[in-house]
Amino acid sequence: MTQSEPIFRMEGVTHRYGDLTALDDIDFVAEDNSYIALLGPSGSGKTCLLRVIAGFEKPDKGRIWFQGRDITDLPAHERGIGFVFQNFALFPHLTIFENVAFGLRNGAVKVSETDIADRVTDAIDMVGLTGLEDRSPDQISGGQKQRVALARSLVLQPKLVLLDEPLGALDANLRERMQIELRAIRERLDVTFLHVTGSETEALAMGDKVAVLDQGQIVQYGTPDAIYDSPAISDVALFLNRFNLFNGELQGDTFVGPFGTVPVTAAQPNKSDVYAIRYDRTRIFSADAVDLPGPALPVRYLASEYLGSSIVFLFETKDRKTVEVDHHLSLGEPRDLTVGENYTLSWDPAQAIVFGKETAR
Amino acid sequence: MSAATSNRDKSNTFRLLVPGVVWMILFLVAPIMMILYVSFWTQTTFSINSTLTLDSWKNFFASEAYVGALWTTIRLWLIVLTLTLLIGYPAALFVGLLVKSKTLSTILLVLCVIPFWTSFLIRVLAWRPMLGKEGAINIILQKLGLIDSPIEVLLFSELSVVIGMTQIYVVFMVGPIAFMLGRIDRNIIEAARDLGAGFGRIFWKIVLPLSLPGVVVGAIFVSVMVLGEFATSGALSGRKVNLLGNIIVTQVGSLKWAMASVVGVILTILLGIVVAGFLRIVDLKREI
Amino acid sequence: MESKVLKPILAVYVGLFILFLYGPFIVLGILSFQQGPEGGPQFPIISWSTYWYQHLFGLTPPSRIAPLPVGEALIRSLVLAFMTMVTATVLGVMAAQAFRKRFRGAGIVFYLIVLGMMVPGVLTGLGTSLLANNVVGIERHWWSTAFLAHVVYTFPFAFLVMLAILNRFDGSVEEASWSLGVSPITTFRKVTFPLIFPGVLSAMLFAFTLSFDEFPRTLFASGRDQTLPLAIYGTFSVEIHPNIFAFGVMTTLFSFALLSVYGILMALSVRRAKKMAMQEDIA
Repeated sequence: MTQSEPIFRMEGVTHRYGDLTALDDIDFVAEDNSYIALLGPSGSGKTCLLRVIAGFEKPDKGRIWFQGRDITDLPAHERGIGFVFQNFALFPHLTIFENVAFGLRNGAVKVSETDIADRVTDAIDMVGLTGLEDRSPDQISGGQKQRVALARSLVLQPKLVLLDEPLGALDANLRERMQIELRAIRERLDVTFLHVTGSETEALAMGDKVAVLDQGQIVQYGTPDAIYDSPAISDVALFLNRFNLFNGELQGDTFVGPFGTVPVTAAQPNKSDVYAIRYDRTRIFSADAVDLPGPALPVRYLASEYLGSSIVFLFETKDRKTVEVDHHLSLGEPRDLTVGENYTLSWDPAQAIVFGKETAR
Repeated sequence: MSAATSNRDKSNTFRLLVPGVVWMILFLVAPIMMILYVSFWTQTTFSINSTLTLDSWKNFFASEAYVGALWTTIRLWLIVLTLTLLIGYPAALFVGLLVKSKTLSTILLVLCVIPFWTSFLIRVLAWRPMLGKEGAINIILQKLGLIDSPIEVLLFSELSVVIGMTQIYVVFMVGPIAFMLGRIDRNIIEAARDLGAGFGRIFWKIVLPLSLPGVVVGAIFVSVMVLGEFATSGALSGRKVNLLGNIIVTQVGSLKWAMASVVGVILTILLGIVVAGFLRIVDLKREI
Repeated sequence: MESKVLKPILAVYVGLFILFLYGPFIVLGILSFQQGPEGGPQFPIISWSTYWYQHLFGLTPPSRIAPLPVGEALIRSLVLAFMTMVTATVLGVMAAQAFRKRFRGAGIVFYLIVLGMMVPGVLTGLGTSLLANNVVGIERHWWSTAFLAHVVYTFPFAFLVMLAILNRFDGSVEEASWSLGVSPITTFRKVTFPLIFPGVLSAMLFAFTLSFDEFPRTLFASGRDQTLPLAIYGTFSVEIHPNIFAFGVMTTLFSFALLSVYGILMALSVRRAKKMAMQEDIA
C-alpha cells in the first residue's frame, strides 16, 4: 500500500471550558481510508476532541483541515463529517427509513425521490436492517439503533465518520459482534472512521491505528502493536492495563526497584522513574528457585481467574502491591499454586521497558 | 479566526432575544417609568402638562381617603395572605404528601385548577348569590336553624371581599406548596419514623422546612395579585372597600392621570418591598 | 400512628376545600335556570327554565332587560386572544431557545421577561395608557395598545413553559442533524419543532386563555370597543340578572371545549406512538 494522503489534519488545537483545558495544543493527522481508534480515560478530552472536529464546539486556538480544506470556521452542517453518538440520537418522530433519508432530504443538495429511495434502501441493507424501514426508533433494539445511526451517516458517503463511544451503550455480547461489523462495513467503503473509546481492548482490537489521549494531549499515536509493545510513557502502559509497573529509581544504567538492582540498556523519557513488564511476560518460580532468567521479585500468591484462553494469577508484593501474571494456555498447563504461599516472579530483562526522568542512553 | 463561530453563536442568541427584550422594554419598563414620570406632572381640572411638581404627591398624603386606601390594601393583603396559607397548607399537605397514588394527587390538583377556566369576573360575581341576604349561605344557615335572620354583613362588606379573594387566590398557594411537598423523598420520612419521630416532630423538622420555598413562591403569587386587585373589591364590597387599585381606576376614570400615577408608584414600591422581602428567603430562579 | 388519624381528617378537609372552590359556581349554575324574566339573581328558584339561555341568544320576546352586549365583544376577545397567542408563543419559543446557550446578562433578561407576569395588570394598564395618551398621542384600541399589554402579560408564561420543555430536550438530535449536512434553520423546522410541539401547544393554550380572560390591562389599555371581560364588568355596576349567570355557564363550557381540543391533540400524538408500538407486536 502506498502512503496515503492525510484526509484530516489538526494543528495546535486548544480548547478550554472555563479554567479547565480539555484539549492542549493537539497536532493530529488521520490517514485516508483507515480505522483510527482514539483511546483515553474519562476526562481525557476525547469527546471534546470529536466535538471540535465535528464543529459542535469551537477551538480556542489552532486550525483544522479536512480534505485539504481549512474547516476551522465552517459550521457543522457544512463540514461533511459524519457523527455517530453514544446515545444514537435518532430522530424519535421519524421512521427508520426517514431517519436514514433525513440528510438526503434536507441537505443543501437536492436529491431526487428515486435516488433517495435507492440509496436509503442500500444503506439499510448494508447494515442489515432490511424489513424494519417503517418502524419507529423506540421499537428497535440498542444494536439496531446503532446500525440506523451508522446508516444515517454513511448514506451521505462522507469521507470521515466520528464515532463517540458507539459501543458504550450496548451489552458485552453485542459489543463484540458490532466491533467486527463496524470494521467490515468500513472496509467496504472508502471512509475513515475515528472511533473514540475508553476501553483499551476495544481500541487495540479495532483500530488500524490507535491514538492515546491523556489530559488533553495525544501522548502516543501508532499501530496497536507498536503501542502494545512499546508504550511511549508509563501512563500509557498503565492505561493499557497489561503491564506490571514498579516505581523505583533509575541510576545511570541500573534500576533500583522492589526486585533489587537491575541493569538497564535503554530508558524512555518520562515524568517519573518506572519499570514495566507485561503480564504475559512475567513468569512464576518457586520461592527458592535459583536459575532465574532475570530479577527476582518475592511475592505471595492471592488468587487466579480463568479468562478463556488464559489464566490470570494475582500476587502481592511485600509492600502490598498487586502484581499480575497472564499465563496463556497455549504455552501448556500452568503450575499448581497454593494460596498464601510465597513464590518468586522473574522475567527476561530484555523484555522490560524502563521509563526514566533523566534519559539514560 | 476562532472568534468567528462564537460570534455567530452570539449574534444568533442576540437575534433570538431582541424581539422579546425590546417588547418588554418598550411596553413594560417604559410604561412603568412613565407612571413615575407622570406622577410629578401638573394636574389641572381636565388635563395634565409636563411641568414637574410635587402637588399630586402632597395631595395623596394630605387625603385621608387615599392614605386610608393604602392601609386598607396592606391590611387586606395580610389577611388574605394569612388565610390562603392557613386554608391552603393542609390541602397541599394532603395532595402533595399524604396521597400515595400519583393519579389521585394529579386528579385533585386538576380539580383545583379547573375553576380557572371560568372567567375571573364570573367567578367573582358568583359570590353574590352565595353571600347575599337571600343568598345560599344565609338560606342554608336558616334552614339548619343556626340563625333567625339573615346575616347582612356577608355581602358588600370587607368580609365578602376577603372571602372572595381567598377563594380565588388560595390555589396559587396550594400549587407551589404541593409541588415542593411532592418532591420530598419519602425515604427521609420513613427513616425519621423508624427512628421513632412522631408526626408532629417530622412535620416541624422535615416537612415544613422543605416546603418553605413553595410557601414563599405561593406567597409571592398571592401578594402580587392581591395588592394589584380592584375588581373583587369593586364587585363584592359595594364600593365600601377601596384599595389602591380602585383609586387608580376612579382617578383614570375622571382623567386625573397624575394622581393615578402617584398611587401607581406607591403600589409599585409596596410590591417591590414585599417581593424583595420574600426573595430574601428563597431564590426564585433556582426553584424554577 | 398520628398520620392514621390525620389522613382521614385531611381527606374530609380537602373535600370541603374543593366545595369551597366550586360552591359559588354550583350556585351560579343553579340560578342560571331561574324563571324569567321576572326571576331575580337569587334564591328561591321560582320555577326551572332555560329562559335566560334563550335570552342570551336573543330568542326571547323583548323585555325590559336588555340582552348582554356580548356578540361583538366575544369576537373581539377571540381575535385578540388569537393575536396574543401567536405573538406570545413566537416570542416565548425564541427567547427560550436563546436561553439554551449560556450568555452574559442571562439573569437580567430572565427577570425582565418574568416581570411581565409579576407586575399587576393595573400598573401595566395604567402605564401603557399613559404612554399612549400623553406621550405618543395615539388612540387606545383593543387591537393595538391592549394587544401590546396582553403580550407583555402572556409572553412570560409561554417563555417559562418552553424553558421547562427545552430543559428536558436532548440537544444531540440537533447535532446529529447538523452532522448530516442539514442547516440549523431546517434542523429547527424538521427536528426541534416537531419534538417540542406538545410544549408549544401548552404555551399557546396558556397564552390564549390568559388573554381571553384578561381584564385589568384591557380595562385601561383598550378604547371604547369592549372585549368580553369588559362587557361583563360593565354589568357589575347596573343591576345583575340571571342572564349573566347563564353566560358564565356558557363561557365555562366554551373553555372546556377549548381544553378538550387541546386534550385531543395531545392524545392523538400519544395514540400515534402507541399504534406504532402495536405494529411491532404484530410484526
